[in-house]
Order: sequence, then C-alpha cells, then structure tokens
Amino acid sequence: MLLSDVYLWLAYSGISTRKLNRLLEEVPLTKLWDSFGEDTTRLNLDDKTFSTLKRSHNEDYIKKIKYYLEINHIEYVTRADPLFPESLSQREVDPPLALFYKGDIYLARGDKNLAVVGTRRASPYGKYATEKIVKELAYSGFTIVSGLATGIDGFAHAATLDVGGKTVAVLGSGINNVTPVSNLALFDKICKVGLVLSEYPPDVHGSVYTFPQRNRIISGLSKGVLVVEAAEKSGALITADCALEQGRDVFAVPGDIDKPRSIGTNKLIKQGGIAVTSAADILDYYGQSTITKPQTIALDFTEQRVMDILSSGETTFDALVEKSGLTVSELNTALSSLIIYGLVHEKSKNLYTAT
Amino acid sequence: MLSRIKSYALDGLRGYGVSVEVDISPGLPAVDIVGLPDTAVKESSERVHSAIKNSGFYFSPRRITVNLAPAHTKKGGSAFDLAIALGMLVSTEQAGVDDKQKPLNSVNDCVFLGELSLSGEVRKINGVMPILISAKERGIKKIVIPYGNANEARYIQGIDVYAVKNLREAVDIINGAAAIPVEKSDIVIGGAAVAGEDLKFVKGQYSAKRALEIAAAGGHNMIMIGAPGGGKTMLAKCIPGILPDMTEAEALETTKIHSVAGILDDSVGIVTERPFRCPHHTASKIALTGGGSTSHPGEISFAHNGVLFLDELPEYPRAVLEILRQPLEDGVITVSRAARSVEYPANFMLVASMNPCPCGYYGSGTHDCSCTPAQIQKYMGRISGPLLDRIDIHVEVDEVRYDELTSSETAESSSSVKARVNAARKIQTERFKGSFVHSNSKMTSEMIKSHCALDSAGERILSNAFDKLGFSARAYTRILKVARTIADLDGNPKIESKHVAEAIMYRSLDKAVR
Repeated sequence: MLLSDVYLWLAYSGISTRKLNRLLEEVPLTKLWDSFGEDTTRLNLDDKTFSTLKRSHNEDYIKKIKYYLEINHIEYVTRADPLFPESLSQREVDPPLALFYKGDIYLARGDKNLAVVGTRRASPYGKYATEKIVKELAYSGFTIVSGLATGIDGFAHAATLDVGGKTVAVLGSGINNVTPVSNLALFDKICKVGLVLSEYPPDVHGSVYTFPQRNRIISGLSKGVLVVEAAEKSGALITADCALEQGRDVFAVPGDIDKPRSIGTNKLIKQGGIAVTSAADILDYYGQSTITKPQTIALDFTEQRVMDILSSGETTFDALVEKSGLTVSELNTALSSLIIYGLVHEKSKNLYTAT
Repeated sequence: MLSRIKSYALDGLRGYGVSVEVDISPGLPAVDIVGLPDTAVKESSERVHSAIKNSGFYFSPRRITVNLAPAHTKKGGSAFDLAIALGMLVSTEQAGVDDKQKPLNSVNDCVFLGELSLSGEVRKINGVMPILISAKERGIKKIVIPYGNANEARYIQGIDVYAVKNLREAVDIINGAAAIPVEKSDIVIGGAAVAGEDLKFVKGQYSAKRALEIAAAGGHNMIMIGAPGGGKTMLAKCIPGILPDMTEAEALETTKIHSVAGILDDSVGIVTERPFRCPHHTASKIALTGGGSTSHPGEISFAHNGVLFLDELPEYPRAVLEILRQPLEDGVITVSRAARSVEYPANFMLVASMNPCPCGYYGSGTHDCSCTPAQIQKYMGRISGPLLDRIDIHVEVDEVRYDELTSSETAESSSSVKARVNAARKIQTERFKGSFVHSNSKMTSEMIKSHCALDSAGERILSNAFDKLGFSARAYTRILKVARTIADLDGNPKIESKHVAEAIMYRSLDKAVR
C-alpha cells in the first residue's frame, strides 16, 4: 500500500480535513491503515466517522478510485508526493490530504503567486480595478490565484488570461461540479493554460461549508492576498483572515466610504492591510521594478486634448463635450481611438479615465 | 329580375373585385346572402332593409338571394351594404333602369362601397385607400365611396371618386345624374409641426443625441441602455421630429396599412409623417405581427416606414420579441392563417430601451445596484443574441445631473438636426436608386462590399478594435453600416478612419456581453 493511496482513502472519506489532520497527529499514517478496524485501535473516533472509513477500507476500492480519476483525466497529488505544494504543508493552512487538479501543478508551487479575491456582486468599479491591477501584475510575472466565482474572482482570471498570464483557480467543489455554470468557459481555458485544483474529490457538490474552506488554500498558495471589493460580510474577508493566520500579506483596494461593497476593504486597510491603488504598489512591496509600457503612439490634436482633460481624473462624456469644446462626433472618434490604443478606459457607462 | 353591382373587397392590402348579384324570386319574404359572408355581411340584410325603407324606397317582400362572387373567398366587413342595397333597388326596378326596364350603363361601370345606417346614411369604412389603388390598377374609372372617406381619395390620381352621404345620392349616381368627383390634391410632405418632444429640451446626453441623429439618418435599429430617469423615453419621443421626410411612395404605402386598420386620421386622409408606434409590453404576438381571424395588420406594420419603439425591452415576453427577427431582416411579415395568407409590409426602425439590470442602477453613479450577477445575467439574457444582432446602434444613457437639469441653455433644436438627417438620407436615396433598399441599414452584403470600402487606416482601426474590445463577428457589418451613415452625415463619399472610430463607440453591448 502506497502512502499516497492512504491519503486518497482519507480524502475520499468525506470527513473534514480538520478532523483528519487531528487524527493523523495522534496516529501515524501507516499505522492508521494497517491496523484500522481492529477494535483496540478505535481511537477516539465517533461511530459515524469510524464506519465511513471502515466501509472504504479496502484496496479494491482505492484502485477503483484511481481508475476513475485516470479515465476522467483528473490528476492528483497527495501530501506524500514531492509535487505537493510546500506552501500548503504549513500547519496553519490545515493542509489538505490530496489535491485533485487539471492543468499545470507546478503553478501551485510557484513563489510569485498572488491571490486576488473579492465580492461576487462586483460593481463596474470593482471590475475596472481588478482588470487594471491584475493585468499589470500578470504582465510582470505574477501567477494570479483565485476562486473561479462570479464577480471579482472571474474578472481576475479572465484579465490574467487576456494578457497571457498564468492563473490558478481553487474550487470549493469537486472538479466535475464547477459552479457557477456561467464560468465553465473560463474553467476550460484555465485547465488548458493554467491550473484548476480542488481538495475535494471530483464529484463532490459545493456547499456552504466547502466554499469558505477552500479560501485557506487560495491564501495558502499565495504570498499575498489582494482584496478588491468586499462588503462587510464577504467570503473575501475570510480569505484575508486566513492569509493573516498563515502569515501572508494582505492588500486591499480602497473604495468609496459610503458604498456597501467597499466597507470590507476599507476596514482591512484600517486594520493594517496595505492599501493598493495600482499594481506598482504591490510590485514595490515585493521589491520589483514596474515594467512600464513604452508609449510610442503619436496622438493627434483632438486626442491630445482629450488626454489632457482626462489626466486630471475620470470624466463623464457630457463633461468632456463641455470641457473640450469638440463636437460629439469628434469626441467619439478621439475616444474610440484612445480606447483602442489602450490609453483610455471606459470605467463605467459614459465615464472615461486615462489608464 | 337579376341585377349585378360591382364592389371591392380586400385581401390583405390587395383589393379584388366582388360582383354583388341580387335576384328576386317569388316565395316567402327572406334575404339569403351567399358567397362565404361573415357575420357582419350577413347582418347587412337588416341594415339594408331599414335603409331602403327609410330612404323612401320600397323593400320587396319576396325571396331575395344575394351572391357575392367570387363565391369561394371569405368576405367580411360592412362595405358591401351599399352595393347590396343598390342591387335590390335595381332588381326591383326602382333605380338604374331605363324606360324599357334595362339596366343603365352607369350600373355596370361604377364600383360601390359603403356601410349603411338604418336611416340610409352611408358611413365610412376601412381600407378605402388600398381599394382605390387596386381598382385604379385594374382599370376601374368610377368608384363611389362614403363621404367620410373622401380625404383618402384626394391623393389617388386617374380615377373618378364620388363621395356620397346617403343612399339617395348613390341612387342618383346610378341613375346617371351628373355628380362632382372628389377634388384631387398633391401630397404635401413636411412643413407641419411634428408631434412629440423637441431635442432642444433634452439637457446633456450628447452621446445619445448624436446616436439618435445617426440612427435617424441611416434608419438604423437602436437600443438605449440606462438607469431609470435618464430620459430614454423622452429621447425616443424626439425621434419623430428628426426622422427624414417621407417620400410620396412611402406615404402612400403607410397610408394603405393605416387605412385597412382604420387608424387613419379622416380629416387628413393620408399619413405624411413617419409613424411612431409604441405598443405596451403587455402586447400579444398577434397585436405586434398582425393576424386574427381576419388577418389584420399589427403594430409592426403600422410602424411601416416609421419607428417601432419598445420601451423596457426585457419586459416583453421573449416569444413576442423573437417574432421581430424575420420582419427586421425582410421588411415584410407574412401572416398565415387557415383561411388565407397575407403579406404586410413591415419596414420599420426598431428603437428599444432597457435598464442595465432588474433594479435599474447597475453602473449608476448615484445609486447602488442591488442585483446579483445571476439576476443581471438573466435580465440581459431575455434579449437573444439574434435579436441583438439586428440592432446596429447601442447607446448608454446616463442619469441627468442636477446642474444640467436646471441650466437654462437650450440645445440644438430638432429641426436643425432634421436638416442634416434629410441631407444624409438624400445621399442614400441617390446611392440605392433602382434597388429596393432605401437606407444604409438595409444594405445587403453585396452593397456593403461596394459602398463601404475602407482605406488602410480604417481597416487598421477596425482590426485593432476587434483585438482590444473583443467584438464578435456580427459587430463587423454593423460597424460598417453605421460608419457609412456617419460618413453620409459628414457629406463624405468615402468612409474615413474617423467615421469607423466613431461607429465603434456604438457597440457597447458587444463589449458588455463579453
């Protein structure tokens, strides 16, 4: 019996990782398997846990599991494998027994991983901030770790893929039960060019317990956690808490003081989180120089005028018309070109800002 | 004695001759109408009876058989009353016969239309305009219509139309008395003040106003997205004021449909302003497309050559929206029912408005949106891709700021915008001369190829836009068509890169969907 098989046995039992880790502290792994079922070693297990483990305690069952994973093209690493991410082995992380994954597992072992998380109900501001910061981070070589949820998580993954960066999605359910379904396309893409992993066996359905649990893995895999938008009670704050416990850095994007979706992030900053308004803040923190994109585009007169106005902050379309003195048609033309050059961003409807 | 009176019936917008035969034979007093009459036609025997009696004639108490030939098509409505009454009078030799009891020529060369009241007055009917046009095409020279419909006859040249007030006047005509036909006049388009709002009262909203101008100039379908209170509906109400003037052919086509449906203004008798129809979102499929037992036209046909405005687009049932797809593409709607299949023109410009999410405030600067992503997705999902595919211009409408609302300065008025729109439309009319297309929005792929060539700068900006903004392939032709219109507004025969750049700005939903 391989050590990794024993881990697989435990991972498939459906018993919480915390409980299993406590058990493993008392009984060494090999002993657990070999002597399991002998009444003298019933340990302190309650009846339910015991019978669950007992039922699957046979080698044929483990073989079937391995065969099933193989035909479904799902790979796995257990704590016994050298490929298991070291960063997750920390005691504070409450290390998972096994990880089921699709994609490139080496990404989970990288030392330039940064988690980007936030609310599922993202505002256009949150979307904008995520895309702006993540793109630059990914461009500078960071691997973006997130949870493949709707909202900020999804935007972070998509933005990374947009610039050809590396991204890791940590699921709160089995790999065969991706939620939300609307992110399936994103899931497929990440499987191809990034990494999707879960501590749960492939067919486990996500539940109110599993999603917060995976947050510790998101922060565990990363050296820091960036919270973009979070309400007062948000899963993203759980991730931030995990990060603090695990000794990771916590970054937060400040928001309007009166917006419910910024209460969480603003609170993080008050409690000592590092305020981030651009990717450079994070890059500086880790002692990396910012890679500035060279500007080689020659702007024409109207485009320059629009850029001048936008350099003093975001401006609505109507205000641009009034300030620039251009006709609507000229302004539309200029804005369109500037957006295409990547110099201007439509932050939300009819609200423009220089990038 | 047998008599035969000519009348006309409608099959959709096409009129066909109906010969009303009346035969009186001995027997118990009865009136039998045959030739597939509907209830309204059957009831005409009662109206005719009273009308004849009350006009001072004698109603024969014998067996009267009325046949509406051709007998295999279904006849409806009350327009045969007059012909039936006259047929009875001729059969009983009270009218239209000479000294030798032979029918006069005037009986045979004239068409009679009209509903009778019990007192013998002739009341107005629906569908006179299309009947006049069909009758004229078939070589009919004389036609008698109700006085209430006289205005519709003024614009059809080459046919003598007599408008009668009561049965007695019709009898005079059938007896060959001299009568004065309805005076003809030319169709006068434009000039009159247009109903609706004026753009000069719309504060701010520069982007939306420009989009309206482009949409009106090219006949482009358009959707406005924005939070409640942004003025989407007000902007839509400004559209009639900036639409290009109708051509005479367009005016007649639209009048035909309005005439059939009975929504024509009798005091004018012709539609010279582009119709603006805004059916409520509780409208049924039939109300929109037309149909029913009589295959009557629906809202999309009423909006022919004009605007169909659908406020709060996602509130319409999906099934109702999907039926718009084919007419949007073809400009006609075929209403098929068991009894018959009718084609109505439905060449309208679709203007729609919607909120960005169920609560209405997603992306708003002043309110916080309370919708979940799933709710927003579901809301946007009510409008299918294929329908969105047919909408050229997407524009986002902001809430109006307080200082804009209270500022006293007035913006450019609708009439000066209309002047530019008219000029641009004239260029298009010239361009598409000899084809069935009237505006840029209806260009076929072949026309796009020949009229929307881009220079290298334009190509570059478009390919960059596809890379950066992630447009779908469907956006490509839409952008080209809109760019063509922008160039037309500019008076430029060539599409330059700046026109393409501006056109790209009106694809916001393509970006959002991503």
